Amino acid sequence: MRRGQKTCAICESGVRIVDYKDERTLQRFLTERGKMLPSRLSGTCARHQRQLSTAIKRARQLALLPYIKGQAG
Amino acid sequence: MVRPYEVVYIFDSALEEPAINERLARFNSLIQQPGAEPPQVNHWGKRTLAYPIRKHETGYYVVAKFETDGSLLPEFERAIKLDEGVLRFLVVVHEGAQPVPVSTGRPEEEDEE
Repeated sequence: MRRGQKTCAICESGVRIVDYKDERTLQRFLTERGKMLPSRLSGTCARHQRQLSTAIKRARQLALLPYIKGQAG
Repeated sequence: MVRPYEVVYIFDSALEEPAINERLARFNSLIQQPGAEPPQVNHWGKRTLAYPIRKHETGYYVVAKFETDGSLLPEFERAIKLDEGVLRFLVVVHEGAQPVPVSTGRPEEEDEE
């Protein structure tokens, strides 16, 4: 049995370029620990996965997103 | 080469508004080219940082967009780095406003049934 193909959430929302300043959207592509979700799970297309990767790294530099979430101390 | 850039500053939230504006004016003058439009500055205001930077829990975010020659950037970044009031900054080439490529030929119709 084959699962239906997941569609890229970013393509569907009509966004061409992922913005690193929009941390709410980026949050959806992170695990609860703040790691990036693989496209295998999130269903993003390769182009948007690449853009997400840069955007998330930039957002982390700017303290919009954490490098690690829920770390004690 | 003149390209559109975008810079995000995180100022120390203890700074007063006039002090921030004075710094912005100083930084902007470094990348201002004769005849070019002044940078579009957008104040996000005070925000909680996702992790502490230099023991600060909050920062004052300012985003500025401008067009300038890349050769002016090293001096610009050096000036920001020397400023103790800036916790962190990021300069990137602004890609948001690039022309959207016009689709050619027939529309894509590959949706699965």
